[in-house]
Amino acid sequence: MAAAAEALQRVEFRPSRSGWIARAAVMAAIALAIIAAPLLADDVRDQWIGYAAVYMVIGLSVNVITGHAGQISLGHQAFVGIGAFTSAYLVARSGISFFIALPVAGLTGAFMALVLGLVALRIRGLYLALVTLAFGQMTETTIFSIRGFTGGGAGADAPRPSLFAGHQAFAYLCLMVVAVFLLVDWRFVKSKAGRAIVSIRNDERVAASLGINVTAYKLFAFVLGGFIAGVGGSLFAHWNRSVATGSFGLSTALVWVLMTVVGGLGSRAGVLIGSAFFAVFQLVVGALAKGASFHWPIVGDVLVQTLSPLLGALLLLLTLTLFPGGIGQQLLPVRRWLAGGPVSTRGHHRAGAAATAAPGSEPGATAKPPHAAAGVPVPAARDEAPAEPAPTAGEPAVRVRRPRGGGRT
Amino acid sequence: MPPVLEVRDVSIRFGGLQALEGVDLDVGEWEIVGLIGPNGAGKTTFYNCITGIYPPDRGSVRYRGRDVSALPTHRRTALGMGRTWQNLGVVRTLSVLENVKTAQHAHISYGALSGLAGSPASLTEERRVRRNAEEILEFLGLLPLRGEIVGGLPYGTQKLCDLAMALATDPDILLLDEPSSGMAPEEAHRLGETLRFLRDSLDLTILMIEHHVPLVVGLCDYVYVLNFGRLLAKGEPQEIQRHPDVVSAYLGEVDDAAS
Repeated sequence: MAAAAEALQRVEFRPSRSGWIARAAVMAAIALAIIAAPLLADDVRDQWIGYAAVYMVIGLSVNVITGHAGQISLGHQAFVGIGAFTSAYLVARSGISFFIALPVAGLTGAFMALVLGLVALRIRGLYLALVTLAFGQMTETTIFSIRGFTGGGAGADAPRPSLFAGHQAFAYLCLMVVAVFLLVDWRFVKSKAGRAIVSIRNDERVAASLGINVTAYKLFAFVLGGFIAGVGGSLFAHWNRSVATGSFGLSTALVWVLMTVVGGLGSRAGVLIGSAFFAVFQLVVGALAKGASFHWPIVGDVLVQTLSPLLGALLLLLTLTLFPGGIGQQLLPVRRWLAGGPVSTRGHHRAGAAATAAPGSEPGATAKPPHAAAGVPVPAARDEAPAEPAPTAGEPAVRVRRPRGGGRT
Repeated sequence: MPPVLEVRDVSIRFGGLQALEGVDLDVGEWEIVGLIGPNGAGKTTFYNCITGIYPPDRGSVRYRGRDVSALPTHRRTALGMGRTWQNLGVVRTLSVLENVKTAQHAHISYGALSGLAGSPASLTEERRVRRNAEEILEFLGLLPLRGEIVGGLPYGTQKLCDLAMALATDPDILLLDEPSSGMAPEEAHRLGETLRFLRDSLDLTILMIEHHVPLVVGLCDYVYVLNFGRLLAKGEPQEIQRHPDVVSAYLGEVDDAAS
């Protein structure tokens, strides 16, 4: 029966054998290019790759909170920063292994996010944006200003583990972390928690009526996003080998939100590309200009580095007006093709519409169980319905059961 | 045996508006009970009070003899109180199948973290969830559309998807909010057959908000009429149809000569 149902779903398009080979080849090429990139690149470029991977981790964390859960977070520097400082402190001052400090940094990020999440339970929209903004600023001026913890203005040392001391090795380490969180995000979307959170984003009251604990899953999204951000912070600190409060200002947090939105909220591939682009763009501009500035009339000296937020704003405008799904939306045909679909959906759509029309066009037909329509007698004995093979609903998915209500909760 | 649903003295006020005032309602085992009333009478508010979305100022809700007044909405759903939404509870950007999977949330056995890690138990459970969703869709004749994005489907089909979701919560009592809205009269008539079929084959008890009078008269065992937040009348459908207060509530005051 499952096989028949499978056949029903994929009626229109099946790639040929060579089509599958082409798809596999493209996927292999992408994977190989990413794996081989640090090997082929020189030291400077390896630094870039590492930085891009750190941004990808941060982008994935924004994606959980803002993309999946739909909660705007302008205080993301609080989660990333706490992870960075915690990790630096543990490794440099307490002599704890980086590989223990990394998850601990994640936990501190998760804790910060939990605190913010508790606020987000009560307010939404613009007010939530303002509160997250204030939360980030407050963290900056309180926790990140504790000299003993963050080293004050001079910053704190964040040595790399000896095995990953080189830029190339560290880039691989960061890419591995990206891979792990990609898997987590994939499983998240495909499992109970992800569906619950999408449902909450859609409508909290409906979600509750579907049996979803809205409070718990909202907090879960914050905690998961905070954990990923904390780990990203740890990588950020050790990538730079030192970390200072100045790295976690509001403008940085805004770039993180921007890169995720431009990448495409909810789209893994889009977020990765958007994050990598913003990371590398900052570095490239910085390297090219070496602090040079334009002398513009009226505005005076404009540091080239400020181009990055400027470009971010432009891309954001383009995204919001032209393609709200971000880069992820542009990638959709590619993704569909890789998953075994056709490149263009134009013909496909028509086929889909026909499929829709078939059972639904005679309007009442949809509003009627097929066996009722066919006059199949309704099983009379309520509790032994599955005994005789009723052809369509052998065992109704909605169980027949009793007693009810006692001891369930 | 206590009634499936026993609502007593439910009252709620929004600012200066007394939306519900002392409403009592009972739904017995396997009954199909109608809840009618003019627009703005408080019917959907009443549902929101029963399901725990609004905490009523006063009154209690008992489900199979158990007081559920203090339980949050999701716990009531897990106990077996399923509902549909007047404006549809579907996620329009997801496929039909994904929506029905989402609705099974309360009956998925693995934990959130186990799902993130992709544990073998969670993967096995996911296969069961998928099969279950497909069975429900097949039951409602939606299986061929399972891969379609809900937002692109005709309204009637979306309503059916909403119903499929309510069924996926594994309800014992189904609270329907205007199931026939947006349907042509003959479709509404067929909806009656569908609901009776669901009741009989899935062993359900049904409470329905409904405007379509022939459907209510033909289908319901008992009818409650709500007007301005108060219970105006209750009784068998035929009685209600002739009830002078109900007639005047729907059609405006009838002068003495006419009555």
